[in-house]
Amino acid sequence: MKRATVLVGVAALAIAVGLWLALTAPADALQGAFSRIINIHVPSLWLAFLAFGVTAFGSIMWLWKKRPRWDRLAMASAEVGVLFTAIGIATGMIWGQRVWGTAWDWGDPRLATTAVMFFVYLGYLALRGAIDDPVVRARRSAILGAVAVVQVPLVYFSVNMFRTLHQTQSIRPDGSTMPREMLVAMLVNLAAFTLLYVALVVARMEVAEAEESAAEREAMAGAEVKPPRLSEVGDV
Amino acid sequence: MSFGDQTLELARVDLALERRLGESFRIIAPFALVALAMFPMALGLRITLVSEIGTAVFWALGILFGMQVALRRSSTDDRERRDLHALLGVDPAARFAGRVLAGSLLTTAFLVVLFVAMVLLYGPRLPLAAAPAIALSIVMVAVGLSELGTLAGEIAWGLRDRTALASLIVAPLAIPLLVAGSQTFEAIAAGAGILPWVLLMLTTDLALAVAGVAMARPLEEATR
Repeated sequence: MKRATVLVGVAALAIAVGLWLALTAPADALQGAFSRIINIHVPSLWLAFLAFGVTAFGSIMWLWKKRPRWDRLAMASAEVGVLFTAIGIATGMIWGQRVWGTAWDWGDPRLATTAVMFFVYLGYLALRGAIDDPVVRARRSAILGAVAVVQVPLVYFSVNMFRTLHQTQSIRPDGSTMPREMLVAMLVNLAAFTLLYVALVVARMEVAEAEESAAEREAMAGAEVKPPRLSEVGDV
Repeated sequence: MSFGDQTLELARVDLALERRLGESFRIIAPFALVALAMFPMALGLRITLVSEIGTAVFWALGILFGMQVALRRSSTDDRERRDLHALLGVDPAARFAGRVLAGSLLTTAFLVVLFVAMVLLYGPRLPLAAAPAIALSIVMVAVGLSELGTLAGEIAWGLRDRTALASLIVAPLAIPLLVAGSQTFEAIAAGAGILPWVLLMLTTDLALAVAGVAMARPLEEATR
């Protein structure tokens, strides 16, 4: 757990710096201080895309190499991805309520497709939870993990494909539409949240490895060598 | 036997089995029709609203119950049948294709029944001249649903909660089909072009076909 602890510490420090920059950067002229929520909303959704991409990568690698660590990577990344998707949706709804006057707009394809993505990966985690055998679990969830990623580009590019309330990407190949200070704060937060994602994935993979070792030891030991409970021994 | 012969034979077996079990048209279709009749009852006497929401209700129920048709009992092989297929050297991709073919035919028939009932009960404004476009969208959604159902059914094969779990996997992934199907009807009613929505359905169907064929062998190994 040492590696994960160090990573979490570094990520916490980076997030503190990022949030300080976010709070000191100039506020948006129209939205005021509320626009600072972008520093949590954008990194969360960026990490959701990254996490589900990593899940697909881990799934494909498992199907190819059949090494347990790839399955652990896919699982850990999906769990963390679901967490960040939930944060992204929640912050988006809060922001939408303030700016658009409504928390949820069905005419906004980015919102709807992000919710769909969230449910797809809840299904992925439900599938994992329904299978006890680790190899069967790894194999089936790898197939779903590799197939499910096809909708991630649809979510990302939905703001470009459909007419929507949602703004398009602020950072484009031809430059940024944001002032420099706001952009720097957001980029620092992107990096800090990415560090947090790495730390959480590493920690979850370590926990999964420990769980697998414990299950293996239990299976090898068998029920008959378990020490009897004191209540079952009685007076000797 | 060639790939095509295997596909056709497996589809024929699936359909024969379904004819015997009758799950799709004796249980799922009547249940869907009851659900279709419940919406106007819940809306009371707002006749105009009923006619306005008819196509949307059709697609929502069509996707939800069509999913159940795709996940019907006759689309699940028991272990013995799987072993027999493996011993006979049946191509896993042909097994996927055969199942999708049978599922597509059943889901199309189910959607047609539901559509006719919706037209009779809701009276939506859809021009008769648009019949080919309506038929095309129904067939394309049925194929996509069947592909998704076959994939999810295989992934959840043999699990205690197979139907519920497979439904959870299929439902969010079927959203592009729902959007494309309902928008096709909207476009028809408004006299607009349907090409973008047909392309979305086609892309979804093709992507799922490629995924199903590519994953057929790993899926067979996963469920052995």
